[in-house]
Amino acid sequence: MRIVSAADLEKVSRSGLRKIRPEKPRIAVGLATCGIAVGGMRVYDRIREIIGEQNPDIELARVGCIGYCREEPLVNITIPGKPLVILHRVTPGDAEKIVRAVEKGEVPVEKALCRIPSWDHITGYTQEYGAGFDGIPRYGDVPFFSHQKKVILRNSGLINPEQIDEYIAIGGYAAALKALSGMAPEAIIGEVEKSGLRGRGGAGFPTGLKWRIARNAEGDRKFVICNADEGDPGAYMNRNEMESDPHMVLEGMLIGAYAIGASEGLIYIRAEYPLAIRRLETAIGQAREYGLLGKDIFGTGFSFDIGIATGAGAFVCGESTALVASIEGRTGRPHPRPPRLTDPGGGLFGCPTDLNNVESWCNIPVIISKGSEWYAGIGAKGNSGTKVFSLVGKVDRVGLVEVPLGTSLNTIVFTIGNGGAGNKKVKAVQTGGPSGGCIPARLFDTPVDYESLNRVGSIMGSGGIVVMDEDTDMVDIARYFINFAASESCGKCVPCREGLKHTLLILNKILAKKATKRDLEILTDLTETIVATSLCGLGQTAPNPVLTTLAYFRDEYDALVNP
Amino acid sequence: MIQQKIPGKPVTVTINGKKYRANEGEILLSVAIREKIEIPHLCFEASLDPYGACRLCMVEVVRKGKREMATSCTLRAADGLEVLTDTPEIEKHRSILFELYLAEAPKSDVIRDMAAHYGVTRTRFLKRIEQGDPLGNKCVLCGLCVRACSEIMGAGAINFINRGPYTVVNTPYYAPSRDCFGCGACVRVCPTNAIEMEDVGADRVMKSWSDTRVPLSQCECCGRYYAPRELSASVLARLDTPLKEEIARLCPECRGKQLAQNEILAGRGGRATHG
Repeated sequence: MRIVSAADLEKVSRSGLRKIRPEKPRIAVGLATCGIAVGGMRVYDRIREIIGEQNPDIELARVGCIGYCREEPLVNITIPGKPLVILHRVTPGDAEKIVRAVEKGEVPVEKALCRIPSWDHITGYTQEYGAGFDGIPRYGDVPFFSHQKKVILRNSGLINPEQIDEYIAIGGYAAALKALSGMAPEAIIGEVEKSGLRGRGGAGFPTGLKWRIARNAEGDRKFVICNADEGDPGAYMNRNEMESDPHMVLEGMLIGAYAIGASEGLIYIRAEYPLAIRRLETAIGQAREYGLLGKDIFGTGFSFDIGIATGAGAFVCGESTALVASIEGRTGRPHPRPPRLTDPGGGLFGCPTDLNNVESWCNIPVIISKGSEWYAGIGAKGNSGTKVFSLVGKVDRVGLVEVPLGTSLNTIVFTIGNGGAGNKKVKAVQTGGPSGGCIPARLFDTPVDYESLNRVGSIMGSGGIVVMDEDTDMVDIARYFINFAASESCGKCVPCREGLKHTLLILNKILAKKATKRDLEILTDLTETIVATSLCGLGQTAPNPVLTTLAYFRDEYDALVNP
Repeated sequence: MIQQKIPGKPVTVTINGKKYRANEGEILLSVAIREKIEIPHLCFEASLDPYGACRLCMVEVVRKGKREMATSCTLRAADGLEVLTDTPEIEKHRSILFELYLAEAPKSDVIRDMAAHYGVTRTRFLKRIEQGDPLGNKCVLCGLCVRACSEIMGAGAINFINRGPYTVVNTPYYAPSRDCFGCGACVRVCPTNAIEMEDVGADRVMKSWSDTRVPLSQCECCGRYYAPRELSASVLARLDTPLKEEIARLCPECRGKQLAQNEILAGRGGRATHG
């Protein structure tokens, strides 16, 4: 069936709703890579074993992940007319108990984390599950969730990412229909500009402006690319976004391609994300069947399709020019900009190319659906919208945290994350991946926005937040990140290739207690030169962990060096 | 990649406070070279696209009272462009870069002299000395050989291997290359004279490139081996000259002699023959 109108979407939506909120109870197991890793698949298989292949009374489904990593595996129960209940830390041994309870229209209360009576899917549909189960805490009362605002993760963990009908049921592709059949490309770009959305890959370049440049670039053939080469240690926002809700990425790209005037799209995704690749492939296939990708989409005459390009294991390929080189089959090494991707001759196969991060694309359907004013109302001035962070390391509540930009580190680490794991004292966080800086606990009132993080010597990056406690050796942390950056350097320019190598050698010397004060001076000189003279962002930011630990934790260095 | 073939309109750029004429879009480093303004560089070659890897040619661009570092090989001349080439900031970073080069290519005289010229005579970093390095511990990975081989010769016989600090240049799998013409362009462009090439008997041996052997043409007259056989054949195929036959058979020296001989014979009323 081809979807060409609002009526068609409505028809598919009804069939999808029957899956999300069936007339019979539904058990849905969180099966993103994280859930599978902690045994979610075994839980799923055990439940399947108990209820059988075709059970007339119980539906069994797979969903993505709602982001509370510490409490996985997570299982959702939907009893008709009752709130959705999230069960946590579920084991295959719990399966029997769950099924028996569900058969009676109940849930195993002792496994329940929270209940969701109604859920706003943002893009046009609020799911009213129902009332009851009053003894179970409400979603909004769970400390991990209470300060979060789910805009990007609006559907994650609640819908089956392998069923396009479920995405359409909660308002999916309605924004694309609105944009393609009712808005001029200029108007769409205007909306994205007014929303204030900035690139979620880390640099924070205004997305609308990038689109405008790409639209105005000369060329008959243009590309849009989704940068899904997420590779920061401890960061997995994009993985979850693609695994839990792949269609929001596709819908964002479809709207963007139409606004820019591109007919070809590519998702550049790291090969280490096999499940995300599979779910994206499934999603692309389903979107094609409905005519949401391909020729003459919605009968508007606009044609657009998306392909997948997998990376070959290089961190630097997340850099735009290296990414393009990699897709073209060349070695992933950055070249100086300009020419930028949007410049003539600078993009993929020489064509003007717009490159946005996964999470940037995820925001687009929301901006079109709710309007730029609504979107700009979230977050802080000049930093609108929400951002997903992966809160990891030595923090009590590990998980994906989505908060409005401008939320303080205190809120994220202490209110949401509940401070150090095992009641240890939190010493610092490292934001922005290997190129980020370490921010000491005394600066945790810093709002998390692009500029404020820069002021304290760190960066937003893609959104990793690694928590360190009193036991963490900060010099060793700096060495860890420098080791990562040195081995991921492409080797093209000398400050990054040679400079990071020598930075690592000096840090090793310090940690072996063989260094002197003079080595610290050399370390400072060298890292400053790497920042100032490196060719691409990797080298320019790689010394940040050293520079910030030198600034904030100098005593730890001093304690290790001889006079 | 770079679309800049037609010279742009004349513009004025300021280098170290002095004004110079340039064409819009012209590479600033080229302007400096033409005007004999000293900016050190290792990876720049006018016939190749700017590469920006050696970072030695960094200058400070003055814009609205603010200064910003940029490589002059990727900087394009525009009206009002103002740069400084020897600020304390530049000197500081350049010295560190030279120290890194001294550690990376400790056996290179070129690097040693160049660094000394800028006042850097020793390095505080651990020197990398590798026994049996095919490039004699002189390579600075500027990429000129790789780019000349692929971009100019179209051979692509050598390339970068590994990444980061483990990067080296050589043939794929360190096996003798079947794509190498033995043209020696790599040897000519190498700024540190790191690449070894030698004609041994009937072959040219690219010693640095996994001992790749390329057969040479033999002069029919003196018996000397003088040019890579396949390369001459491919060049000759593109030539249209009556001298083609001679070029194919004789070394440049014998060809000269033969030409002179023919001229003399022609002067005596004899018949000039080609071959």
